[in-house]
Amino acid sequence: MRQSSSRRGWLRRRSARAGGIYRLGPFAARVETPLRGLRNLITWCYGEPLPPSAQPIVQFVVRIDHGPLYRRLIAPQAVFHADTQTPFAPFPRDHAFPLLEWGLNWCIATRAHQYLMLHAGVLERDGHALILPALPGSGKSTLTAALALSGWRLFSDEFGLLDWRTGSLQPLPRPIPLKNRSIDIIRERVPVQDDLGPTFPKTRKGDVAHLRPPPESRRRQYEMARPAWIIFPRYRAGHPLRITPLNQSLAFTRLSQNAFNYHLLGATGFDALKGLIEGCHCWSAEYGDLASILSALEQLPEP
Amino acid sequence: MSILLTVLRDPDALPRLTRQDWNLLLRESRSQQLCARLSWIIETRGQVSACPEAAWIDLAAQRFFAEHKQAQVRLELRKLRKALAPKGVPILLLKGAAYAHAGLRVARGRDFADLDIMVPTDQLEAAETALEAGGWLMETKDRYDQRYYRRWMHELPPMHHRTRSFEVDIHHALLPLTGRLRPNPALLWAASRVLPDSPCRVLCDEDMLLHSAAQVFQDGEIAGELGALLDLHQLMEELGQREGFWQRLVPRAEALQLGRPLYYALRFCTKLLDTPVPAEVLRAAQAQAPGRVSKGLMDRLVPRVLEPRYPTRRPAHVAAWFLYMRSHWLRMPPGLLALHLLRKALRTGKAG
Repeated sequence: MRQSSSRRGWLRRRSARAGGIYRLGPFAARVETPLRGLRNLITWCYGEPLPPSAQPIVQFVVRIDHGPLYRRLIAPQAVFHADTQTPFAPFPRDHAFPLLEWGLNWCIATRAHQYLMLHAGVLERDGHALILPALPGSGKSTLTAALALSGWRLFSDEFGLLDWRTGSLQPLPRPIPLKNRSIDIIRERVPVQDDLGPTFPKTRKGDVAHLRPPPESRRRQYEMARPAWIIFPRYRAGHPLRITPLNQSLAFTRLSQNAFNYHLLGATGFDALKGLIEGCHCWSAEYGDLASILSALEQLPEP
Repeated sequence: MSILLTVLRDPDALPRLTRQDWNLLLRESRSQQLCARLSWIIETRGQVSACPEAAWIDLAAQRFFAEHKQAQVRLELRKLRKALAPKGVPILLLKGAAYAHAGLRVARGRDFADLDIMVPTDQLEAAETALEAGGWLMETKDRYDQRYYRRWMHELPPMHHRTRSFEVDIHHALLPLTGRLRPNPALLWAASRVLPDSPCRVLCDEDMLLHSAAQVFQDGEIAGELGALLDLHQLMEELGQREGFWQRLVPRAEALQLGRPLYYALRFCTKLLDTPVPAEVLRAAQAQAPGRVSKGLMDRLVPRVLEPRYPTRRPAHVAAWFLYMRSHWLRMPPGLLALHLLRKALRTGKAG
């Protein structure tokens, strides 16, 4: 009995090293890693890998490896590979999970040109999508996380995937990386403490902790939605809430500068963005505290 | 055989692929950076319906890189033309830019590393002066590099305009001046043709293929150049349909001293990609085959470095190293080569 269970354990470990395939919205990624701590975090966040019978088409094959042998002893490293490419310098071993997340973002941003990829948080309610473009200092991740915890369905914190053939938005539920002070702000709002992962101190972006996507949002990750509202948030400490309509040409310029692949898509990108802006209400919103903007977003006009 | 080669040889094999085959095909195409080209080959063959939807979307989405680059090439060419036309310097397009402007199928989905153009040897200095006045800069200031290009190579040091990052290579010959083979540029210019809706010229059909063959098998390191072999394959498929192409090809290669690279191009295209070549052309090219030892070596080494090995086999480092040494051997006489490699080795040491 004991022997067989340890054998099963060995089999499980070996298959994990060979890699599991995980569903990321419209994509499937094969993730291979010998790092056990990282494997546990992957399971915490993305659940069990797809069964072999699912046989999805795999867009991304990534591997997080040890660094060279001597670096296993002194200051251990984690190295990200995507097929034959190694796009980043190694991270400290303890930051393997943020590295994986960053690497997957890189894979998507450099390859998924079937979408116009906006750099934005996206959420949905009653079939209508809200786009929160990420400008520096916008507090987008905090706001997206807070909305995802208060009745909105999380599409993505990073990628507004606009299918340029249909004009619809595609969900990509992935963990939301919260930075520094936002970690505590969101911790107060999380009903299940396990939904907030470990804090990784002193990464390139300061302290980072991930909020895993709510089960509802993962379960419905194939349900697309029509874009309805675009709000450019801007956090300014101590300022009262001020929401002002934004004219379409300004919204267009800001979004085009903010997309990952607007220039690459050429005329296709222009048409997609034009269609998006014309079909949406656009505002900019200045806010000093989370509660005020959350209640304002409850009262958005009908699209 | 790798699944990518199987599909490139015969796109009609696509309906027989399993899911596992498809995932392997995607990985091989990604590592060879041939996704966009594969998508066009599939579409041209009418096999889109044989692809799983997710795989097709992924392949076709990679076309944007090529389209973006081709737009950049068109812009750069307009600017070059503006700088060179007042000095009376004609432009002859080479490689990717030529394929795209001539509307050849090989250009579909093909990425560009840089823009290659040729100017007449006696107008090289005028061209360089005009480009410098127009804002193009040399990428290297190093004195040895400058001398290397100017005395021994077939092109000026790479240039780019100070407001754009696109690299432009100005050629005055097809192969290095120090090399074993030196096709006469005057012959190329004489046979070149004007494009119907462009002020630029392109090489005649045979020369276009011969240049491509020389790039890979005379001047290139071959390893990892499956895309370049695919260029040759697609050029032969399309240009071979044209009246008299195959009859003119071998005699033309002999006139340009490019019989040997043509022999290799025919040999490895037919071997790896099953390219349709008339039997009498293969027979005529046999006259240009190397001796038994070279032939045996090349037959063993070249398929090893051209076939996609990732992710199922280890990279062929040894074969790649031999072919790298060979490419240098063909570029320069032994004494010069020894000095050049010594220089490069010392510099790498210093930089490290």
